[in-house]
Amino acid sequence: MEPIPEPKAANAGIMVPVPLGELFTLAAECERAGKLEQADSLLGHMLQANPNQPDTLHLAGIVAFRRGRHEEALAKMEKAIEFGVDTALYLRNICEVYRTLGRLDEALTTATQAVRLSPNDPLCLHNLAIIQYERLEIDDSIATAERALLMNPQLPGAHFELAEALLLQGKWERGWDEYEWRFQIASAAPLMPKTDKPQWDGTAFADDTLLLIADQGFGDVIQFSRYIPWVAERCPNIAVACAAEVAPLLEQIHPGLRIFQKWDDVPPYRAFAALSGLPRLHGTRVDNVPASVPYLFAKPDKVAVWRDRLDRLTPRGFKRVGIVWAGRPTHNNDRRRSSTLAAYAPLFNLPRVALVSLQKGPSTDQTGKYFGRAPLINVGTEIQDYDDTMAIMDCLDVIVTVDTSVGHLAAAMGRPAWVMLATAPDWRWLLERSDTPWYPTMRLFRQTVARQWSDVLDRVAAGLRERFAEEAPPALAAPTRARRTRAAVT
Amino acid sequence: MNSLASQMCPCGSGLRTVRCCGLNTAALPPADSVRHLVPLVERAMQAHKQGATETAERLCLDVLEMAPDRPGALSVLFEIRRAQGNHTAAEALLRRVVAFDPNNFPATNELALMMMGKGNLGEAEVHARNAIRIAPQNPQAHNLMGMIMTEAQRPRIGEYHYRQVLELSGVRDPILIANLAWNLKNQGRMEEARTLYEESIAAAPEIKQTLMGWARLEEADRAFDAANEKLDKMDSLWPDDAGVMMTRSVVLGRQKRNDEALAMLDAVAAKSPDGKLGANELLERGRLLDRMGRYDEAFADFLEGKRIARELSGHVYLEDAATGLANRLRNFFSAGRLRTLPRASVRTDVPQPIFVLGFPRSGTTLVEQTLTAHPRIDAGDELPLINDITNIMPRMLNSPMAYPEALAELWMGDQREGLDNLRDWYLQKVEQMGILTPDSAWFTDKMPLNETHLGLISLMFPEAPLIHVIRHPLDIMVSAISNHFTHGFFCASALETAARHYVTVMDLVQHYRAEMALRYVPIRYEEMVDDQESTVRAMLDFVGEPFDEKCLAFHENRRYARTASYAQVTEKLYDRSRFRYRHYRKQLEPVIPILQPVIERLGYTVD
Repeated sequence: MEPIPEPKAANAGIMVPVPLGELFTLAAECERAGKLEQADSLLGHMLQANPNQPDTLHLAGIVAFRRGRHEEALAKMEKAIEFGVDTALYLRNICEVYRTLGRLDEALTTATQAVRLSPNDPLCLHNLAIIQYERLEIDDSIATAERALLMNPQLPGAHFELAEALLLQGKWERGWDEYEWRFQIASAAPLMPKTDKPQWDGTAFADDTLLLIADQGFGDVIQFSRYIPWVAERCPNIAVACAAEVAPLLEQIHPGLRIFQKWDDVPPYRAFAALSGLPRLHGTRVDNVPASVPYLFAKPDKVAVWRDRLDRLTPRGFKRVGIVWAGRPTHNNDRRRSSTLAAYAPLFNLPRVALVSLQKGPSTDQTGKYFGRAPLINVGTEIQDYDDTMAIMDCLDVIVTVDTSVGHLAAAMGRPAWVMLATAPDWRWLLERSDTPWYPTMRLFRQTVARQWSDVLDRVAAGLRERFAEEAPPALAAPTRARRTRAAVT
Repeated sequence: MNSLASQMCPCGSGLRTVRCCGLNTAALPPADSVRHLVPLVERAMQAHKQGATETAERLCLDVLEMAPDRPGALSVLFEIRRAQGNHTAAEALLRRVVAFDPNNFPATNELALMMMGKGNLGEAEVHARNAIRIAPQNPQAHNLMGMIMTEAQRPRIGEYHYRQVLELSGVRDPILIANLAWNLKNQGRMEEARTLYEESIAAAPEIKQTLMGWARLEEADRAFDAANEKLDKMDSLWPDDAGVMMTRSVVLGRQKRNDEALAMLDAVAAKSPDGKLGANELLERGRLLDRMGRYDEAFADFLEGKRIARELSGHVYLEDAATGLANRLRNFFSAGRLRTLPRASVRTDVPQPIFVLGFPRSGTTLVEQTLTAHPRIDAGDELPLINDITNIMPRMLNSPMAYPEALAELWMGDQREGLDNLRDWYLQKVEQMGILTPDSAWFTDKMPLNETHLGLISLMFPEAPLIHVIRHPLDIMVSAISNHFTHGFFCASALETAARHYVTVMDLVQHYRAEMALRYVPIRYEEMVDDQESTVRAMLDFVGEPFDEKCLAFHENRRYARTASYAQVTEKLYDRSRFRYRHYRKQLEPVIPILQPVIERLGYTVD
């Protein structure tokens, strides 16, 4: 590719005029190549010269969206539609921006319009299916994805969307098959370096190594690592490739696992399988999930240290509620699943309750702005690894969290894990129910209005009151007086 | 001769700069070479004694031109300049006497008094301690230490030194007895203080300061009739005395006889040469007007009072020092570093501190009085100890750096117990102060703005309950502008600087809380007023003590709080001061933008 001309060259003296059409091609190439900053700069210049050019506006909107400037992206795309020519394409893209911003009605309207204008474009249908899933119109979402697949049976995104919808409805048998398409999605991170070895089909063999890959998020690893003993019954020689953070957890699951954190160290193997593919091989249905907990345990020496520390930091006799309000910000659904500490307000006035923040990452700083009544103990900053997290959770009465790995970890330890879910949750949490076949000690609290946590936390607070009232020892003789000591105004 | 060499010193001593404040001590002539000047110094002293000031001054200037370090000549010149009211020169000369003649007891004594007079208690203490080192059997040295410690709100130590004076002198000087009485009053030992005032007045019935102190004791002890009786006596001895009238106004104000109190202050103003009130009187009148609902006049008095106080004291907010410290604390206390630092272990053999944190005037006195009505919680009041530790830390930890960087020594093998030593130093001082009673498990430390040192406190006392008193920031501002306090780098010398310092400290608190696990709970002043019982229960729960009814009747807690809030906490809990800022919306306009982020963070609104 030719070097990109720099129109802003301050010292160049002469500026070589480049035809706008050519510039647009350059900008589009930059966008495709991920050179977003250059694309941004080029498009900014073009819009200065020609502020209403719809293609430029649309592309600038895409670039702004990819750089996280969602409101600006929306403004540009709306303007592109206003002056637009290729409106179907604009609509196909703007509906995704609306969805990201949580404006689901507008997302649905624009996606439907896009489908109507461009009925043969399976990508329009694909985007529509995603929106319908998020609106919890699951039957519609399935039908739309199937229509897209009729046009292009090899569209991985549509297969994956179909998989999620089927799994969410509990139709796991067909769902698992469709779920296999996740590895074909262009933007998905590759599972592993290129290999000529086959994917494991569940056949037993004892004379060679099976490679398991601890794929997807840490929550998935915790959830699906329960299948490792089942795998070991079929293939006793297991090597696992995983991230360093989860290695200590996997060591607990099955003694004798060989665990690797670098691809170069992985030994020769006959076949491989992703942990997230094991439910399919196992033939898991809603009614036969292997769910005996606990299967993860805190280390006793760590527990002793943390119990002592929490005893010092928490008022005596207070219930301890662990809280996590945000997931990893790079997760593609983070805007939907994450909340804020401020949204936990219904928990702030619980009597004789101390909140123990397990929050890590950039959201930790919200603890500095907390001024609720219940003491909040910010141990998140001291957590080094999952061993710390488990040891702390061993000393807590309940763990309240959004849909992050902490919920999986608590539940895998058999602790009371109360997980709060977005209206359209991840498929694994199924629909409507407040329990889950995956974890017997987990309780689910579902959003009723998209991105609104206040009523969810009201229910959590009520649940905690109820639970602690049940657990409370018989009241001591000390009678509480009814009179309220209102100040004398003098 | 160049111009610099001929310049007269700007301090006004009458010496050239190079012989005075610009003196190069390395270039001083050896003492032996100026021995022939000794007779001149003696003549100067003689002349001064005989009232021949001009001769004495001329001789001193001549001697000091040749031998600028002659203490005798410096002392005489100091006395001359002081008598002339030239305080700058007097201070410069006196400092030089002490520097060149460190064993000069009268000069050291004088310098300590001078520093105390200026309100510079830190430096006064340094010289008073030297005075005792020079003359450990000298009653005057102990008297000085007694006065300074009393003023510095360490009355227990002051009491010790006053009693030394009694023992060493063998006489019961009525002034000393009155000083000791004032000290005991500050410890809340009202009966003992009263007895001593009686003794002092019996021996010397007409000492104004003694009668005034006694009147203030009775006022603080809510014996208004007894206070008035003393004031009546003073009226007959010194009719129309401004100090007496001022105290009478305070007494009237506490009896809610606002109109009379106001009239009294107006009479004080009418009597002053310029027809105006001084800084303290203006603040007093502003508070009266505030109680009477005359808010615009009240605020004008507050601002004028602060302006005059600034002018007289020269105290303005030391913003660079404040923000510099805040930045260094922020940099030092980070989550990553805190993971690597040790924590002090917890002593179980002595009562443990409860830190009552908050901006001055945010309700810390109210919270402390409430807590310390509990039988297991002693009142420590405003303990200067955490601040002291930040100063002595480099020495204690043997560090070349200042606080907080000196804490880096904790990584050294020989300083792993450094925090235990700091903790023990603090606890030992508390012991010495006589705060602790036999059956207590806790004592309070309510030094305002200790939250600046939240990181250090939690390293030294990882289990100590940290109770942060939160109040609507605009209410704090109204209170800060209507009262005098010097905490927080003199931020309360003006409204805007009080707001800026408040934000600096609250941002620092936010930082600490985001970076470390603390046993911290915020207590809202407004909730305390609204629903006292549940707030008290929450606090005691947090501390880990059973509820006690006495805490609700804290205004019957006869203990006297030394700080400006004492008159309020002896009233039943009232909500006159809740959202009081609404009367001053217009006047507070300049600080609202400064405070807005914190107002929101704390969940308050401005309406």
